[in-house]
Amino acid sequence: MNEISTDWNSGVWPDWCPGCGNFGIFTALKGALSELGVGRENIVIVSGIGCSGKIPHFVKTTGVHTLHGRSIPFATGIKASNPDLKVIVHGGDGDLLGIGMGHLIAMGRRNPDILVVIHNNGVYGLTKGQASPTLQLGKRTKSLAFPNINSAVNPILLGMTSGYTFLARSYAYNIDHLKACLRQGISHNGAGILEVMQPCPTWNNIVTMEWVEKNTYYLEDWDPVVRDEEGAMRKMQGIIGIESGEKKALGTMLIDDSRQPFRERIASVYKHYATMPPAKQEIQRGNASLPVDVEKTFPNFFV
Amino acid sequence: MPHRYGSTVVFEHGGLVGKMDLNFIVGGPQGGGIETAGLLAVRALAAQGLEVFADREYHSNIKGKHSYSHIRASEKRIRSIKYPVDFLGALDVETLATHYHELKREGMLVHGTGLSRKQLTKIPSMDIHRMERLKADLENIGDTVEELDEWLERGGMTVLALPFAEIISDEAEQSPPMIERVMNTALTTTLLRAAGIPLKTVVEAIEALFKEKEEVKTLNISVATAVSKSLDETAGGKRLKIAPNIPQPAEKGKRMLVAGNDAVAVGKLVGGLRLQTYYPITPAADESFVIEQHSVLLDSDDKTLGSPIVIQAEDEISAICMAIGGALTGVRSATCTSGPGFSLMVEGIGWAGNNEVPVVITYYQRGGPSTGLPTRHSQSDLLFSLNAGHGEFSRIVLASGDHEEAMNDAIKCMNYAEKYQVPVIHLLDKGIANCVTTVRPSLVKEIVRGKRDASGQDYRRFALADDQISPRAYLGESLMWYTGDEHDEAGHISEDPQTRRMMYEKRMGKREKILKETPDEDKAVLFGEQDYEDLIITWGITTGAAVDAIPELASKGYRAAVLQLRMMDPFPSDHVAGILSKAENLISIEANYLGQLAELVKWKCGADVRKRVLKYTGRLITQDEVVHAFDRIKSGETRIVLSGGE
Repeated sequence: MNEISTDWNSGVWPDWCPGCGNFGIFTALKGALSELGVGRENIVIVSGIGCSGKIPHFVKTTGVHTLHGRSIPFATGIKASNPDLKVIVHGGDGDLLGIGMGHLIAMGRRNPDILVVIHNNGVYGLTKGQASPTLQLGKRTKSLAFPNINSAVNPILLGMTSGYTFLARSYAYNIDHLKACLRQGISHNGAGILEVMQPCPTWNNIVTMEWVEKNTYYLEDWDPVVRDEEGAMRKMQGIIGIESGEKKALGTMLIDDSRQPFRERIASVYKHYATMPPAKQEIQRGNASLPVDVEKTFPNFFV
Repeated sequence: MPHRYGSTVVFEHGGLVGKMDLNFIVGGPQGGGIETAGLLAVRALAAQGLEVFADREYHSNIKGKHSYSHIRASEKRIRSIKYPVDFLGALDVETLATHYHELKREGMLVHGTGLSRKQLTKIPSMDIHRMERLKADLENIGDTVEELDEWLERGGMTVLALPFAEIISDEAEQSPPMIERVMNTALTTTLLRAAGIPLKTVVEAIEALFKEKEEVKTLNISVATAVSKSLDETAGGKRLKIAPNIPQPAEKGKRMLVAGNDAVAVGKLVGGLRLQTYYPITPAADESFVIEQHSVLLDSDDKTLGSPIVIQAEDEISAICMAIGGALTGVRSATCTSGPGFSLMVEGIGWAGNNEVPVVITYYQRGGPSTGLPTRHSQSDLLFSLNAGHGEFSRIVLASGDHEEAMNDAIKCMNYAEKYQVPVIHLLDKGIANCVTTVRPSLVKEIVRGKRDASGQDYRRFALADDQISPRAYLGESLMWYTGDEHDEAGHISEDPQTRRMMYEKRMGKREKILKETPDEDKAVLFGEQDYEDLIITWGITTGAAVDAIPELASKGYRAAVLQLRMMDPFPSDHVAGILSKAENLISIEANYLGQLAELVKWKCGADVRKRVLKYTGRLITQDEVVHAFDRIKSGETRIVLSGGE
């Protein structure tokens, strides 16, 4: 693990708080990437704003650290333009489920080959611990003046109803489990959500390591793979059942390869897309720069 | 001249002979074929060899509200509309009630006899405030269409009320539901024939318009033919006298007939755009539709060059961010929007500025604030487009003044974006977006992609350089980092004061470079007298009305020129100040309240443009308005607010 860590470190010092769950995610991510067999230039980590948003600077792959809540649109534009790139989104629960929730839902509808890793710590860490969309109703973390008056959103169920075809939950301090989920999600042929339970030792005094030990369990005897349409319905009902339990399940809930990924949907309307996506097209030809013939391409405009 | 309406009409129209500056209004309820009527007229006039400029006015509504086209045709190039009009064609009573006062004294009104007995004050779709004004205007006229017709005829106008329904039913053998659907063609054919367009050309235009709809085409041709025949044979055996002298089409296939949305789409595709993102908004969305429709790009050997992709985003924030994402992969990427969408895009533009991303935002202004006038014209977002985004960064704001320029600027904007690695705002307006006009395309020949480093070795995305431009590598070519935070050469977050200063200066220093290297024609264009006394400064579609007014101003003895401002940021202060200094009298004309261009010129050049002609009704500034306003300015007024047009 040490060797991998060094090789996939960018050299930038990770400035997270000591004990931050992000360290676990960072380590597992480097491990997963090293096992992927993809050249690091072709891996693009796209992130939002917040503690989690800094992760691309620490990993030695290409990184695009974007705006608060907007990592998904950036990632979608990158992936659609150059499908050869391996695109992974990292963001916090506030980023992806609060300010950026509309994009999260839209991504499920499109189903691009992008894994969204939600660093879920229940708080807005970098602004000193305000309640995030995953903090339970009535809970009061230490920097809140009052108990939280908003209900929590469930990222797995939200992802399921939005059309995501890969859904998993893992835990920042179980590196092996998290790495396996990351590998599975990154290799998945479609849109994925990996929710990572990530203790914030600085601001979240509720979801602590002890809380996670007591309130989670690892999924066993659950087959996440969808094989047909009918199976998909049963799978959804099963996931609702899992998510209705008192304890949070850790593991892979859904792998559905039956739905067309975004690149195939684009190729179904733009017939040259599969062989000539935008990033692979030549727009100029030697010195004769403008190769498009206006009269042939736009005959209806001529009088 | 004897004129009667009804089935015994005789039309003898001599007023327009040889004049060749024809203005038509053809109106009706939205969704009732009125848009097609306008397009048919435009197409036929263009096919007859005329230059055409047509404004389309419509409500934010799909069916029922009043909509019309104001079409102008001439032998010479025109870039504006002009009142009063020569022809008014009405599909419904609201059109008559709304526009009758815009007819010339010797003008002609055409409508179906079905309207004759209708009441002018019972129009449920009419805006209640407009109705109040109408009632006052009708006091001395009467309440029915018949009475209005008589009043117009007493004033010297020709009223041609034709039994279209009977003609269509008898001659084209159609029954009632279908009759309503082809009424537009009947009306337009009459207007065109009256203006001197032969049936042959009308048929040609119908064929072009309904190319892919065989049945619709056949039906409309039979209607046009029947109406035309009935005009020729109208009672008494007298023939319809039409204006001669309309030139026959000479060089077919050399001109394009485009709306601004079309022109920009063509420019973008020719210029190498391969990713367009958008969220639906008027008056920008049609551009994306045109790109989708022409997504197979061909070279002169009919070989496919590839195709762009168009992504409809979930909102404008996503649209700009997706386009930026595409640009990072080396793809020429753009988004297009209007004011409300641009408001949402602002954070993305700031990120692009900080990360030196070549992304193009095509910005069609419409009436604001907020939802404002969603389908109407405005030039009130100039200052916004210059200042959108917190912090300071270099951008280019380039404003086009007409369709030909818009087509070329679409290419130039992508060139500038990549050459200088800045976000570029291509500033347009609803006038350009929706007006349809004939253009002779003469396109920019060059694609400029800017400094590159595809070596993959020791790459630093933001490497400091003497000319402020770091060589670009595309995602996938090298390792690189981007961030909205201040960053070092590698693209990693840095709050080091000296790094901050160097990076800040690198980004801002581009402004000087851009100004130094941009040709004058992209900064500002001077029209008219070189030895001018009065200088009109203007921009966007309003340029057309000002330039079209120059001959008339000259004939009144004014030594007037028009300066069209194009590059709004960075602002070419020295170049513009030089031109301003030669004038004794500065007048700004623009479609907003403040006189935003005048304010900008004052800020950047220190020249106080105190005489301002403004319009914010949502309607275009017209050639005649420019002339009248100029007269008033010369007689001492300083602020003139225009309000012509319906």
